[in-house]
Amino acid sequence: MADESVEKGEETAGADAPKAGETEPESAVSTADPGVGPAEKTESGEAGATPEAAETGPAGGDAIPARVIQPDVRFVRDVINAGGSDLKKCYQCATCSVACNITPDDTPFPRKEMQWAQWGLKEKLTGSPDIWLCHQCNDCTAQCPRDAKPGTVMQAIAKMTIANYSISSIAKAVGSAKTFVLMALLPVIIIMAAIGIQGHFSNVPRGGNGAIVYSEFMNVYRAIDPIFTIFFVIAAVLLILGGRRYWNDMLRNHVSEGGAAPEKGFFGNLWPTVTEFLAHKRFRKCDETRDRANSHLLVFYAFVGLLLTTAWAGLYMDVIHRESPFPMYDPIKILANISAAAGIIGITMVLIYKFTHAGKIGRGSYYDWWLIGTIYVLLLTGIGSELLREANTAVFAYPVYSLHLMTVLFLFIYAPFSKMAHMVYRMVALVFARATGRDLGVE
Amino acid sequence: MSDKVLVIGGGISGITAAVEAAEAGMESVIVERNPSLGGRVAQLYKYFPKLCPPYCGLEINYRRIRQNPKISYYTLSEVESVSGSEGNFTAAVKINPRYVNEKCTNCSDCAAACPVERSNDYNYGMNSTKAIYLPHDLAFPMSYVLDKNACNNGCQACADACQYGAIDLNMEAKSVEVDAASIVVATGWDPYDAAKIENLNFASIPNVITNVMMERLAAPNGPTKGKIKRPSDGKEVKNIAFAQCAGSRDENNLAYCSAICCMASLKQATYLRDTDPESKAEIFYIDLRAPGKYEDFLRRLQEDENVTLTKGKVAKIEEDAATGDPVVTVEDVLGGGKIEKQFDLVVLAAGMEPAAKSGNLSLNISFEEHGFVDGDRLDAGITVCGVARRPDDVTTSVQDATGAALKSKQVAARAIQTAGGK
Repeated sequence: MADESVEKGEETAGADAPKAGETEPESAVSTADPGVGPAEKTESGEAGATPEAAETGPAGGDAIPARVIQPDVRFVRDVINAGGSDLKKCYQCATCSVACNITPDDTPFPRKEMQWAQWGLKEKLTGSPDIWLCHQCNDCTAQCPRDAKPGTVMQAIAKMTIANYSISSIAKAVGSAKTFVLMALLPVIIIMAAIGIQGHFSNVPRGGNGAIVYSEFMNVYRAIDPIFTIFFVIAAVLLILGGRRYWNDMLRNHVSEGGAAPEKGFFGNLWPTVTEFLAHKRFRKCDETRDRANSHLLVFYAFVGLLLTTAWAGLYMDVIHRESPFPMYDPIKILANISAAAGIIGITMVLIYKFTHAGKIGRGSYYDWWLIGTIYVLLLTGIGSELLREANTAVFAYPVYSLHLMTVLFLFIYAPFSKMAHMVYRMVALVFARATGRDLGVE
Repeated sequence: MSDKVLVIGGGISGITAAVEAAEAGMESVIVERNPSLGGRVAQLYKYFPKLCPPYCGLEINYRRIRQNPKISYYTLSEVESVSGSEGNFTAAVKINPRYVNEKCTNCSDCAAACPVERSNDYNYGMNSTKAIYLPHDLAFPMSYVLDKNACNNGCQACADACQYGAIDLNMEAKSVEVDAASIVVATGWDPYDAAKIENLNFASIPNVITNVMMERLAAPNGPTKGKIKRPSDGKEVKNIAFAQCAGSRDENNLAYCSAICCMASLKQATYLRDTDPESKAEIFYIDLRAPGKYEDFLRRLQEDENVTLTKGKVAKIEEDAATGDPVVTVEDVLGGGKIEKQFDLVVLAAGMEPAAKSGNLSLNISFEEHGFVDGDRLDAGITVCGVARRPDDVTTSVQDATGAALKSKQVAARAIQTAGGK
């Protein structure tokens, strides 16, 4: 009967949280079928609809067919290990959905996600726009009566979404502090090799009047362009493919729940979503972490500015053949410096905020700090390179510049596997929500 | 050798323990903090299992007290210290002045003459009494009492008005020593301070009240004479909401379940439904706990089409500025979607907090994590019963108190045996 599946779920939901790791008895694993690939899982996606269907059972009466829920126990354990260690404390009171100011009224989160995660309904979660409509305000966590930290669980699921739509073994390695050195080795080796091949370890070239010229040190055409273009393209391709798969999974879940396919697809809804995003209105609806609207905005625009700068520099050098370094009064330089300053201010605000407003929300996971740390090092070494070049202290300038290149490359290589990928998945989710009218009125 | 039992707390549990012990042949002494016995039960409109008014249960107990010379009681009193051990306790009891002696006939002339008012704690502050007042019409002892903190300096209007010489404004606190073989802790509970539940705005929205206030609103001897009218404008309530687990099972407030709030809300829904067939009630819950035979009561309400049970916790209450109506926000877990609903009145099903906490009870006893007396770690000769031990309903507390009386009897028997053996 329908009631049975509800009871089964509540057993998981109601029980006091076992320690992370020791979730269900191993025997339950056999109920999940690890051999079934995502494409064949439509059936279990349907089964995923059961909780809602079954929930109406006791109140609504007969007519609801019994369905079997196949919990993916490994997924439950993964969510717990990915930071959702308090997941099982949740007793489904739905305080979180009310606390959330950016959730759509018709399909509120994160209460249902907490249940799906407890039940191991992986397809429903990874293919849900709500995972990324969540902006990590953590109002839910602040108000949770059980300290189940729904915000952290949502983030853990989001992290697993990134793994799911990229290459999960790499994503896991990127998400673990233990493999940091190994991960960092790749960009270090590439940049060192590039310096070595050019013979610039011992014989550092100088500009006309003995000035430091980074484009002599790392040749733009023979070193910078090929290396960074290759990894940029790889990252972009992986992110686009991941975003596409995410879109298709969302669409499949949406249609299987009886929703109509959107009239205008991704590109038809992209522009209004981007313009909405530029103002960061959703971040401003957060109560607990309202300051994040400004810090994230600064970092976001810093990245946009630096991206423009890079493109602009390419234009100068490749098209009109103006050689770097460009003078300080050049608009490109002004934009670059403003962007770097905005980035530093923004990321420092993030840092201060993490420490002063930890409270129940905590200071974030390694996953967060990976990105914060990378951005920090990237911006500091970037500004440092510029200042050290102006000061003409070659002994510091070149190592710092090399470190800067390594960090940029590090971010490029791992963007599809790390929190950096949130830019793609959140955007895709926001566009999808707009296309399907999911969260009308929220923005 | 004394076989006396000292009962701390004169609510339904303490009264029961004292009466049962006395009827088993012991002497018992009740020490009650308030001016009247009866405790929280006296503040209910109706109570389980029979949904009778508390008059029946309390009146019977008062008669048992009056008729039994082995029972004595002190009101307005506190146990200041306890020494000795099982079989041989000595308690210092401070009796605060009532300022009214036994000559009082309850004629009310004093209150008529009294120029000042005080907030009426019996009605949870929803109305006021004069500074000299009868605690309530179920008071025991049936006698006026003066709240001297509320008096104007030097005023003696009441004493002047009293023709029986029953008012003594110079009465002072007294101390007595009570020897007892055993002690029963029956200190009961206080309603949880709903103002601490930040998202429910109890403090700022007048038409958001607590469940204990709802008992008073429905009671014929309450501030509205039993008409369920809302505080802001006295409008008769037609559409009421109950927010279950308000601050309960909540790490930010009371981490435990108070056990009685589900049945209390179901009961309170009938207060409105039984008097007004047009009225509507909606109960928002996480889980409904209707243990044992109470299931029938739940079913009765489920069958009432004007009573809606909605799964989802009220996590936000705002006020509609134009009407003063509270607006609740809930995720309707079964129906789907986040909903906002407007009501005439919202009742917070808030929980019970133990009244005795470490520090305000002059006994060396252990408390468990939520502040209730830890019955398993008490010194020999001391027993706890009722809500002082754990949140429970009246029926269970009474049973618990009867058990405590038996425990005391055993202590006394042991003490007499030991003394005889020497």
